[in-house]
Amino acid sequence: MPAENDASKDRMQWGRLIRAIATDQNRAAFAALFEYFAPRIKSFLQRSGANEASAEELAQETMLSVWRKAALFDPESAGAAAWIFTIARNLRIDAHRRDSRGGLIQTSDVEIEFQIDDSPLPDSRLALAQSEERVRSALSRLSPDQVRVIELSFFEEKAHAEIAKILEIPLGTVKSRLRLAMSRLGNLLSELS
Amino acid sequence: MSIEHHPTDSLLAAFAAGTLDHGQHIAIATHLVSCPQCRAFMRSMEQVGGVVLTNLPPATMANGALAAVEARLNEPVRPAAADMTPTVPETEVPGLPKFVRRYEFGNWKWVAPSVHLRRIMLPYASDTRVFLLKSGPGTKMLEHAHTGFEMTCVLSGAFSQGGGHFQPGDFDLGDETVHHKPVVDSGQDCVCLVAMQGDLRLNGLLGRIMQPFVRL
Repeated sequence: MPAENDASKDRMQWGRLIRAIATDQNRAAFAALFEYFAPRIKSFLQRSGANEASAEELAQETMLSVWRKAALFDPESAGAAAWIFTIARNLRIDAHRRDSRGGLIQTSDVEIEFQIDDSPLPDSRLALAQSEERVRSALSRLSPDQVRVIELSFFEEKAHAEIAKILEIPLGTVKSRLRLAMSRLGNLLSELS
Repeated sequence: MSIEHHPTDSLLAAFAAGTLDHGQHIAIATHLVSCPQCRAFMRSMEQVGGVVLTNLPPATMANGALAAVEARLNEPVRPAAADMTPTVPETEVPGLPKFVRRYEFGNWKWVAPSVHLRRIMLPYASDTRVFLLKSGPGTKMLEHAHTGFEMTCVLSGAFSQGGGHFQPGDFDLGDETVHHKPVVDSGQDCVCLVAMQGDLRLNGLLGRIMQPFVRL
């Protein structure tokens, strides 16, 4: 599958671009990452309820953080796309908190709230090293309908009733499809690890 | 000692997606501290987030967005303001995530015979109350249900409930449909972290009499 090989090369490329930022503040590498990721981060934020202006602002802030945190990127423990996703996620949580405090500028350190496994078991690190490919492979074995319902429910924060409307299927089907998709994903991930 | 009771895959996915209320986030994080298996699944869901991101149709960025960010690349980074000093030492409450130990804790308060409660003050708005609940050995808690959800993670000691045995790291989710009647093991206090939304409803005559006094 040549297309799949290209995609896989792209993914390795992202990791190299992040390292180029970390080692020699390479602006061309940053521009390349920005071109690919910024529009997708904005799209992700808009789908999970942000308005156009705040999605734009957060997408820019995310890319600024990619530049600043590049040295912290560990290709052994996270795929580049997942690493960038977590930065966007954390900034979104932070933005929600500032909104609920009436726009008071006080940045919380969301990152540490997701740092749980600072003493991972020796074998879990190995599993993590392959995890991006493992997760892609597991997702590729779900049906597109199953992947879509996972995206909508968890990453676009849609309620089940809303998903039923978007996909034009009954509410009961949303629930059973999601349940089945999650249990298949869980099984595939443990089989592949 | 192995963990038998875990959060659902959906809760772990919502944790990884960053969509949980802060109180719920704390309860799940507490379980994750002692459960490598759920941690691995949660990290996999972060990877799913990365895949979802790359599969999205790109939105259009504002004109000059890249230049605007490039102009800020040399800005000095403000130092991390977060104070990492824990307010509660690990030895006092084992099993809590590091970030939670930096929060302000209330004093232990009596809520019922041999049951004490200690509030954890959350720094962010949340419609969930988070507290430690300490029950003496052999305590039979009153049968109760909830008007919202209740997440419990055992920190020390153990209790039995509905045929299951809950030990450190074990996680339990209760809601309107679940009627709890936990019994604490003999020999040792049982301390749990609880994240609770809504109110606790005590069932039975004694419960109805005590309800006004038990402010949970």
